[in-house]
Amino acid sequence: MVTGHPADAGFTVWLTGLSGSGKSTIATALASRIAERGLRVEILDGDEVRTNLSAGLSYSKEDRDANVRRIGWVCELLSRNGVVAIAAAISPYRAARDEVRSRIGRFVEVHVDASIEALEARDSKGLYRRAREGALTGLTGVDDPYESPERPELTVRTDGGETAETSVSRIVAMLEELSYLAPAAASQAAADVAYTEDEESEVTDRLRDLGYL
Amino acid sequence: MLVVALDGVPFTFVRRLFEAGELPNLRAIAERGPMAQMDTSVPNVSSVAWASFMTGMNPGKHNIYGFLDRHPGTKKTYIPTARDVRAPTILDRLSQAGKRVFSMNVPVTYPPRAVNGLVIGCFLSPNLEKASPSPEVYEVLQGLGYQVDADPWRARRDKADFLPHLVEVFDARMAATRHFWRQERWDFFMTHIMETDRLHHFFWEEMETEDPRFAPAFLDFYRRVDRALGEIIAWIDDDTTLVVLSDHGFCSIRQEVHVNTWLAQSGYLSYTTDAPKGLEDVSPSSVAFSFDPGRIYLNVRGREADGWIEPGPDYDRIRDELAAALAGMSDPDNGAPMVERVLRREDLYTGDAYAAAPDLVLEMVEGYDAKGPFGKPELTFKGEALVGMHTTPDALLSISGLALDAKRPHIIDVAPTILSRLGVAVPDEMDGVSLGDVVPVRG
Repeated sequence: MVTGHPADAGFTVWLTGLSGSGKSTIATALASRIAERGLRVEILDGDEVRTNLSAGLSYSKEDRDANVRRIGWVCELLSRNGVVAIAAAISPYRAARDEVRSRIGRFVEVHVDASIEALEARDSKGLYRRAREGALTGLTGVDDPYESPERPELTVRTDGGETAETSVSRIVAMLEELSYLAPAAASQAAADVAYTEDEESEVTDRLRDLGYL
Repeated sequence: MLVVALDGVPFTFVRRLFEAGELPNLRAIAERGPMAQMDTSVPNVSSVAWASFMTGMNPGKHNIYGFLDRHPGTKKTYIPTARDVRAPTILDRLSQAGKRVFSMNVPVTYPPRAVNGLVIGCFLSPNLEKASPSPEVYEVLQGLGYQVDADPWRARRDKADFLPHLVEVFDARMAATRHFWRQERWDFFMTHIMETDRLHHFFWEEMETEDPRFAPAFLDFYRRVDRALGEIIAWIDDDTTLVVLSDHGFCSIRQEVHVNTWLAQSGYLSYTTDAPKGLEDVSPSSVAFSFDPGRIYLNVRGREADGWIEPGPDYDRIRDELAAALAGMSDPDNGAPMVERVLRREDLYTGDAYAAAPDLVLEMVEGYDAKGPFGKPELTFKGEALVGMHTTPDALLSISGLALDAKRPHIIDVAPTILSRLGVAVPDEMDGVSLGDVVPVRG
């Protein structure tokens, strides 16, 4: 295969789940795994989108849906042009997600699931504490609804047992299974790491002997 | 088009040999395509220089800054490979234009990327099998006795033993060059000779001081390379453009300089252990650390693992202070200045991979070779094994049918020149500029 990016290589991975569940972490790691396959990839992170594409939108149901549609629209443009789009957004309402799914077609939904107790205990952004203190209202999963996907292509649990790395590997395996990505064996040259540990230490020794380190 | 890459062969040295009546074939090549002195990348190590050649871009775009780098936000280091080259190479671009391409041993082409043709990986390949793009090519290379690289450990153990080994590796490289040149009529064929660089690293000083044990063998090796060039000239017809180039110059090492030791002695770097081995042992409170050759990284918040220096005025102030101190580094033996200039990232690099760039790069006084090990007790070191170091302004370039004499080319200018010669559009994102129209040389 000549290095290039056929237009039909694009698709969208939609990560949905509560705030703090690990969507951004998974998106970043997944993006680098996909880039290693020689594909172009973009992340649309909900937190970032709200500072530009969706600046000014509130957290009402209407505005939350509008936010999801906007992210979906950009994902659609990217996917159509051969880019893998990864959306990491709470996207609490099922109907809006399904609407985006039917517009894009080449779309997989991943539910990044964690119990509200685990999220409150972790509380990486301090949101759950502020919600409990009454300083913040409308937090999804606390006093705003979250509608879990009914038939996501995959659910990853981030509240115990499964590391982000494992979650990402499961997503990659699912993408291979659904033929969005070539199976690892077929894309070996692109997918494998450049070196095994032994090989890397051998090459490092050679570089050291040459005075290059 | 046929490209012969002679790693580390200095323009001025070749001219000196011409004047002494040596290297008749290279001289003939220089007559068909006037040879120019060429500038190379910063830093001037082969991985950076050849990645710049292959992409026609600065490291800020292709992302190769040296033989070692760190994963963003971690203390984990890695060896940058073709996997990390973020920009299309001329092999990719020519492939896309439907040209048949061949490339052998050019840094940084391991792991071999898929192209319209063949890529045999460079010396960063862990072994021959992995350097080969297919089992078939592996079998051919094995049959020819091809080796990925000469074993530098043999030079460290016994220099006299290294020379015949180097000859053997070079001869096999030429045999493979011959084999694949004959295999088909390539649109673009490039072979890279690493053995000249290895010869220089281990024997440059002996050559300069006319050491009777090694100086004659040094010259003999050059004659051997010249005979190979004579054979190559005989292969090509009038329509084939011949490009001969190197990627940096060479000089003798006066002292190896352990930059991290200077940083530690000057209070900019400390360790979490008494016997530091690598980046993982750098303490979070450190201001900066260095990777070979003379790349300085500040401990910037949001970028380094334990980064604390705030981007903005804090960064500017600390970096200015550090740069001024580095500029004053002197040889502990005689007080001689060791640093020519301290270069800042924004004056060297631009592009999508800019974030990974070193904050400062040392341009050393010739003879002072900036090295990157951590925890060395001594600031400077003069060993007997490694005696040659790279220089930046003394690479060479000759393109048959292209008058270069009035120009001062840079290594990033070669890729656009090659693309135009082969009728492929030069993309705007390339930093280099075409050196002009190549006209076929008759006779």
